[in-house]
Amino acid sequence: MKLIKAIVRPSKVDEVKDALNRAAISGITVTEVRGHGRQRGHSSVYRGREYEISLLPKAKVEVVVADEAVETAIDAIMDAARTGEIGDGRVFVLPVEQSRVIRTGERDAV
Amino acid sequence: MLPTNDAAPAEAGGLALGPAWRTRLHAARAELNAETCEARGGIRYLDRYTTRVDDILCDIYRAARAHTDVPCALIPIGGYGRRHLCAHSDIDLLIVLDGAIGAAEERFISAILHPLWDLGLEVGHQIRRLADFGEPETDNPEYLTALMEARYLEGNRALFNRVISAVQAADSPWRAAMREALVDLVKRRLSHYNYTVFHLEPDVKDSPGGLRDATAIRLLLWMDVDAPHDVSVDLGRLNEAEDFMLRVRSILHMERKRNTNVLEHGLQEVVARRFGSPGEQPGRQVERLMSTYYHHARRINRSLQTLLKATDAPADADTAATPIDDDLVQGWDGIRFADGTRASLQPRLWLRPFEMALDTDSTVSEQVLTCIERHGERYAPEEFFPSDAERDQLLRLLQPRPGLYDRLEEMHSRGLLGRMFPEFQKIYCHVTRDFYHKYTVDEHTLRAIRNLEHLCSPRTHSRRRFGELLKEVPEPELLVLALLFHDVGKWTNKNHAEEGVRMANDAMRRLHLPERSRQTVEFLIRQHLQMSVVAFRRDAEDPTTVTNFTRLVGTEERLKLLVLLTLADVDAVSPDVLTPWKEEMLWRLYVESYNQLTLGYGDDSIDHDEVARIALNAQRPEDISEDELTSHLEGFPQRYLRLSDGIDVYEHLRLARNLSPGIVRPRLTEHETSWELSTIALDQPRLFSNICGVLSFFGMDIMRGHVMANLHGVALDIFEFEDREKFLALNPSAPDELTALLGEVIAGRVAIDEKLRGRWRAGPRDTPAARIDPLVHYNNHYSKRFTVLEIVAPNSWGLLYRLSRTIADNGCSIDLVLINTEGTKALDVFHLTERRGKLSEATQERLKADLEETLAVSAK
Repeated sequence: MKLIKAIVRPSKVDEVKDALNRAAISGITVTEVRGHGRQRGHSSVYRGREYEISLLPKAKVEVVVADEAVETAIDAIMDAARTGEIGDGRVFVLPVEQSRVIRTGERDAV
Repeated sequence: MLPTNDAAPAEAGGLALGPAWRTRLHAARAELNAETCEARGGIRYLDRYTTRVDDILCDIYRAARAHTDVPCALIPIGGYGRRHLCAHSDIDLLIVLDGAIGAAEERFISAILHPLWDLGLEVGHQIRRLADFGEPETDNPEYLTALMEARYLEGNRALFNRVISAVQAADSPWRAAMREALVDLVKRRLSHYNYTVFHLEPDVKDSPGGLRDATAIRLLLWMDVDAPHDVSVDLGRLNEAEDFMLRVRSILHMERKRNTNVLEHGLQEVVARRFGSPGEQPGRQVERLMSTYYHHARRINRSLQTLLKATDAPADADTAATPIDDDLVQGWDGIRFADGTRASLQPRLWLRPFEMALDTDSTVSEQVLTCIERHGERYAPEEFFPSDAERDQLLRLLQPRPGLYDRLEEMHSRGLLGRMFPEFQKIYCHVTRDFYHKYTVDEHTLRAIRNLEHLCSPRTHSRRRFGELLKEVPEPELLVLALLFHDVGKWTNKNHAEEGVRMANDAMRRLHLPERSRQTVEFLIRQHLQMSVVAFRRDAEDPTTVTNFTRLVGTEERLKLLVLLTLADVDAVSPDVLTPWKEEMLWRLYVESYNQLTLGYGDDSIDHDEVARIALNAQRPEDISEDELTSHLEGFPQRYLRLSDGIDVYEHLRLARNLSPGIVRPRLTEHETSWELSTIALDQPRLFSNICGVLSFFGMDIMRGHVMANLHGVALDIFEFEDREKFLALNPSAPDELTALLGEVIAGRVAIDEKLRGRWRAGPRDTPAARIDPLVHYNNHYSKRFTVLEIVAPNSWGLLYRLSRTIADNGCSIDLVLINTEGTKALDVFHLTERRGKLSEATQERLKADLEETLAVSAK
């Protein structure tokens, strides 16, 4: 069982969600986050004044999947979130020791 | 005192009777549930159920009576005393004994309580001796308020009468303590629910507008029967609302089989079905049910708020008033009509108390609100706005400022908004069922307006930047008007933005709103969802996304209006929807779009197949040929067609015919609070600075303006300016003097700098200096053709003339200009070229140094 954590453009969340649905992966958590990757933000100008935008708005998409579904999920996320431009984001995969369904107590159901 | 488990022989009788009582209780519940299934478990059937429970209690009491011969009385209190028992309500009981409580009396009490517990009833019991009714029990406010609804059930009636006399007599200290406890409990409860009736899953008992509010109203009316105020509550409507709440509560008890009063999402569909709420889909049925719920909750809560306010009334409330003018007086509770009867016959006066309350930071009295509520239905919408004066009064009233939400809410709750604008009434208590919209559509609308109001004194840094934008909007009342109508189209299933435009147009026609204002409001309503869609669902870092969005918006003025409307609208969906993250996304889209509109418009010339150009060609008058129109538009930026309507464009074209160097064709127009000067001339060195110089010479403050030129060298300069000294308005020959001097200056026969030198020597005019550090900034990547120069500086008389002179003196050509003055701050954007190309590094440096020196001189 793995936790897939994807940092994507906010505008891509719906597409990622749909792609995961199509891949029969249910259960998703989306969080509004800010950060930067290699691009380290950029500068902008407003009314003649320049300012740095170091932390860019991004969305964090988290899904927990069975080991055998990891590649499918990653592919779905990457296909949906890619624009080819700097700032498309990143996908991380982390091991999950166990999970429980709070209502039923069921173990490791994904 | 707690009952003991020391069961006496007499209790055996009670135990024997237990099954019979249980059967009777089940039968009573079954009878109530049968009615509840049809959503009839309201006042009437709860009263009948209470009688059944009373009968069982009387039997239990009689069975227990064998334990003691001390006089005692069984007294239902609270909701049970009120006879509003639902199937699983608590049984609030007071047992009073006239004597000491010994072992026998304890057995007696146990013999009452144990069977009730065995029946599965939740009992809230209070055991007292008659001697306990000396000093009021101020440490037990719930008990105090429950005592107000005490009634006799069984036992010694004389004892009951003595208790009632002790606690409810007009001069009893208990009565004053009860009142205090009631008001305190109400205020704490309302505070717990944030003073709003709008909860996605309301508690029909405790939420504002719920059953506890209804009870509080009755108790306050009962206690304050002789109070010196003119508050009246429509008891018929209160009964209706209370009955509705009880019918809902009965269904909740029946469905959950316990004492639960929260109208949860899952239960809303069940309750709607039992009520037979109209609609084919469960979602629609729930929307109708919740609409009815909020309608009643609002009515109950408003009556309670009015009563609470009236409790502060001074003894001479009805007579103490200070005259304001012929129509209004300042009373203890706010602005009142001087003559209520006369005012009731003149609906055109009804906006005045609200405007006066806003102007004086006061409130509107109950006398005014009641008058409007009672007489509003007699008048048609047109009767509120018989002339432009009333329209202008409405627009003044709608200017965002502290108190606007409160006044509009009062106008709405008393029916005035709905009478003036039946379009708005269509969304009264309309519910949109989803997991985001916390409020009914009308309340959402008013809260959106309140969000604008809050921008007048923003609390956070991130809101301050939006607050600054609001200050820059010349007619913020149009923003409020647009918000008022932005969701009225939700009354149907059609495209609500388009339906909203249609409905708003009806209202704006009645108001005789000027065409330009109507277009602004129409634009805002039609596009009110677009900015949030682009900000939150599109990639605002993609230049194409921003370009498409700016094409939709057109001008930076409309962009400011739309971003403010979007912020106010999204933040009014529910308190959690507009997160700081989303707010930042919205701001960034605004900044990118603003830059595109002000810095990046120079390269976007009008295309041959531009929709607006095709429309202009289709509608062109006979005296203008297609070739002539094409030639005129050639080279103008697309912005030209966004700023000018067809009539203006044709007029510019005619003025540009047969132009020769040194000739200027001006057009001077007076608007409500400003003037506009449009000039057409062949472009020539210092053209812009000379026009600015002439306006400065006559003392005009340039507020806004645009300068652009076509491919054939025809320059169009448009200036909006204020004539603060009323020179043009007070001197009939002044407009001709101004245009004549302009002609002389452009022809080169008069040097405007010579004339201005005399004015400079006369000393600076009284222009308040802004605390702004002047800023000169170049931008070379927004345009392929131009160097874009932005200047932000404290505004001062003649500033634009000085700046443009400095630019011209450096050999730079001014191709496009955007002029904007926001209060005391000047924001000017120049598109410059040098020998038909961008400015060299050296020129930029030299010009920047000169401009900074010019700004330093202007600041002095």
